[in-house]
Amino acid sequence: MLKYIVKRCVNYVIMLFVATSMTYFLASAFMDPRSNYMERHPHPPIESINRSLTNANINDQTPILVRYWRWLKGIVLHWDWGLAPDQSSVRQAVGSRIGASVQLVTIATILSIVLGVSIGVYTAIRQYKWQDRVLNMVATFFLVIPAAVLGLFVALIAIWVNTKTGVRIFYVTGLHAYDGGNPFMWFVDFLQHIFLPTIVLLLPSAVGYHLTQRTYLLDTMNEDYVRTARAKGLPLNKAIRKHALRTSLIPTAVNVAFSITGVFTGAVITETVFAINGLGRYFTTTISTNDINGSVCIAAFGGLCTLAGALLADIFSAWLDPRIRLS
Amino acid sequence: MRLFRKTKKADTDSKVLVGGGMDGTTVLRPEDTAYNGMPSEDTVLSVRGLRVSFASEAGTVHAVRGVNFDLKRGKTLGIVGESGSGKSVTSMSIMGLLDSNSKVTGSIRYNGEELLTKSDQEMSAIRGKGIAMVFQDPLSALTPVFSIGDQMKEALEIHNPDMSEEDVTARSIELLQLVGIPNAEERLKSFPHQFSGGMRQRVVIAMAIANNPDIIIADEPTTALDVTIQAQVLEVLRKAQKETGAALIFITHDLGVIAGIADDILVMYAGRAVEKAPVDDIFEHPVMPYTMGLLGAVPRSDKGKSGRLVPIPGSTVNLADLPQGCPFASRCPLAVEECRKVEPNLEPITGRVGQFAACLRSDLVVKNHLTFTDVYKVGESTKSIFDGIAREDRNIVLNVNHLRKTFPLTGGGFLRRKIGEVHAVDDVTLDVREGETVALVGESGSGKSTTLLEIMNLASPESGTIELFGQDVGARMSGAERRRLHERIQYVFQDPMSSLDPRLPIYDILAEPLKVLHTSKNDINKRINELMRLVELNPDQVDRFPTQFSGGQRQRIAIARALAVNPKLILLDEPVSALDVSIQAGVINLLEDLQNKLGVAYLFVAHNLSVIRHISTRVAVMYLGRIVESGETEEVFEHPQHPYTKALLSAMPVPDPKVAREQRRVMLQGELPSPTEKIIGCPFASRCPLKITLSTEQQLLCETEPPALDDWGVPGAGLNHMSACHFTNASVSAS
Repeated sequence: MLKYIVKRCVNYVIMLFVATSMTYFLASAFMDPRSNYMERHPHPPIESINRSLTNANINDQTPILVRYWRWLKGIVLHWDWGLAPDQSSVRQAVGSRIGASVQLVTIATILSIVLGVSIGVYTAIRQYKWQDRVLNMVATFFLVIPAAVLGLFVALIAIWVNTKTGVRIFYVTGLHAYDGGNPFMWFVDFLQHIFLPTIVLLLPSAVGYHLTQRTYLLDTMNEDYVRTARAKGLPLNKAIRKHALRTSLIPTAVNVAFSITGVFTGAVITETVFAINGLGRYFTTTISTNDINGSVCIAAFGGLCTLAGALLADIFSAWLDPRIRLS
Repeated sequence: MRLFRKTKKADTDSKVLVGGGMDGTTVLRPEDTAYNGMPSEDTVLSVRGLRVSFASEAGTVHAVRGVNFDLKRGKTLGIVGESGSGKSVTSMSIMGLLDSNSKVTGSIRYNGEELLTKSDQEMSAIRGKGIAMVFQDPLSALTPVFSIGDQMKEALEIHNPDMSEEDVTARSIELLQLVGIPNAEERLKSFPHQFSGGMRQRVVIAMAIANNPDIIIADEPTTALDVTIQAQVLEVLRKAQKETGAALIFITHDLGVIAGIADDILVMYAGRAVEKAPVDDIFEHPVMPYTMGLLGAVPRSDKGKSGRLVPIPGSTVNLADLPQGCPFASRCPLAVEECRKVEPNLEPITGRVGQFAACLRSDLVVKNHLTFTDVYKVGESTKSIFDGIAREDRNIVLNVNHLRKTFPLTGGGFLRRKIGEVHAVDDVTLDVREGETVALVGESGSGKSTTLLEIMNLASPESGTIELFGQDVGARMSGAERRRLHERIQYVFQDPMSSLDPRLPIYDILAEPLKVLHTSKNDINKRINELMRLVELNPDQVDRFPTQFSGGQRQRIAIARALAVNPKLILLDEPVSALDVSIQAGVINLLEDLQNKLGVAYLFVAHNLSVIRHISTRVAVMYLGRIVESGETEEVFEHPQHPYTKALLSAMPVPDPKVAREQRRVMLQGELPSPTEKIIGCPFASRCPLKITLSTEQQLLCETEPPALDDWGVPGAGLNHMSACHFTNASVSAS
């Protein structure tokens, strides 16, 4: 098992290296940071543009392999992911945003899995009963509503609640406002901030897990071995929870693992609505500002998340199902 | 008054009247009380007026329509019926495991307790403890993600929460040993996928008897298993019943299986019990024409071919749209006008103790001692066009020599390295002549179907030669020549449900092979008309789709498709095993008639020995890809030479309780070895009952030298009777 994981990790490092390098070449080919300067009227002197670009190692007049080698050396030797066209450090920009994103995404992901899977199980057991129908309708509603609409809607309700009660219960922008030394107060402040964006992130993915988990469980619920379990004397609900749920969790686990990247970079709308400086917004900014180094760094981070997710999915599936052997 | 239950919370309505209270008043429909007598002292289960219906798209399906029976402690009740007769639904309603869309009424009393009013929670206290169940398909009956030990533990702990960990383990090991699982202690840690089908069924039986139940319900427990494994599992079931003293409800469609194990038999048809009697009476003098038909329609494996089979005409009724009167009337030769008006109840037969039948004509049957042959018209078989021509003088149609087929086993990883071979077919030699049927028989995994597919391939095999009509199929030939070869050899598959395209009307299905041969439209129409008549179907129905036909009719269509191009050889892969018993006979008769009329040769693959004995002229017994014995069918069945053939024949269920009780079975030890295993000597050596009686030197020969298929100079052996055993002579004299 351990040997398998080590082997996998080595494989993943190689894959990640190849993928990131390819992204670097692609980004260098497609993105044109020079245009950032040339579009200004009047544009700055060419020499000064070249100097800025060379300093950030994104000058298209330097051979690509030379730039690549510098970029690679910087990462390997100094963990330096290079500079944006405006000469700001990519490492610092990403570093400061990862924290915000992790806070936002982790809570929302965990809650959405727990909530979605539980509702999925609850509705599968009550297939076609009124609980199932109502929850399915709710799920479909949240599935089709765009994140921006949902975000604004939630924000409006929060503001309405705030004005009605006269107390500022929810904050609709940022993640932190308290700068005192009391950890309890800090935590309460954090909750007040994180609550709304978490809801907006959580609802669509929770209903997604709800609907898929319901289907997976319905598939396994009528298996012969669930009937055997009932024949042994397990009540229906226990037989389903113990015997059907486990096998039906495997596809969900795989789904979760591969959705992690998407959640990190896909939170862009929520981040925009609630004015949170997260990775999602950074990702779109890097692309729109021709920030080669920044977008490659995000791609590398996304690759890392995907591969970590794949490994987790493998381990989790093997743990759930003894027929899957990791070797 | 109705008792009502859904699988969820019981409808404990005040209006519910529990049948058979202390004062013995059972409030039931008048026809349900016809079954005489109150349950006696030792009755563990009594079912009265059980009715089950489901809502379906086609309307309400009345799956069970008034079933009554008593089950006595320690006794075995066999419930026999074809698919759709309601036998499984009856058992599931006893367990309370029916879907929630079912409506159950009537009364099921277990030790005097009414079960139908119980909630799922209350029923689960009884399930597994008082009433246990063994299901049909052992491959899917165990949860794949839990170890055998965990599943055994669950069965014990759910009813004995105070049991200590050591006691649970000790009891689990004891149970596994009881059902004959070697190394029980280690196997507790194994997972279901590490067990074979037969072993898994043993585990299911072990779990069923874990809490010493009063009743074990076995729903087709051996149907999915091979004959030799079936014999083992039946033995285990018998032993389990003896150990626990439980009553057994044994549900099956196979009268052969039930003859040796049941005390009483209940025959079901269209959701009702149509006959009920002690086992000997059912087999000796059945009263209901349906029972007679069931018994008479199956070929006997223990007796030579006595003549033509007699099918029950028609097909089973639609339970969503039942006709008025007796549901069997439309298929019954004795039916009179009244049968189509009134549905008879299960009534005692005058002069027969303990025998009941639901038939208006039962008096007639009893008075005139009518038997199967009196009731059903025995047809005349057509004379074969090869009658009188000796086998040696007929042309060889197919000649297979030393055929081999292996499948590579590949390892995981990127390169998929070859790490071994599966010897699916290993040195098979056989020949088929005009107008004869050669049968290949063997258990699953013996390579029968692979042999057929290799022949059908019409290409040079991996090793060995295949000659069709004297022409080597591996030789270079033009496209036209090859097409002509294809024309003369056709294939009929096992499952007529999946081998016919559901979206093509019958006309197109039958026209397809003709279109390939560029037959003109006019000729195609004529030929299709001819074919439909040939397989005894109405030619007007060619515009229908396969789903509009019954299983037997669909197999007839598949045969017609094969016949369309006038082949000289048809390869049949288990053509009747997916069909109900009463339908089977008709298809077998059709195959025989077609052979006699057209002179076509069959290579017939089956695992059902009675069908083989009936239909084939020559038989080859396969084991692990090799032919272990071959010869004329009668000769092989009467004087088997190879120890495996002997075991196979002795494990065969016989539909006669007297014979079945005295049948001495050769129990094979262990399981079929994995086909990936490299076997140097005789493939059967690991399970051979003869080998253990031999000297060490002789045993060494078995383990190192593969025996050739030879006649070994056995005195009195018939022509061409060959066996692949070094000690054929010892084997012959041992019997």
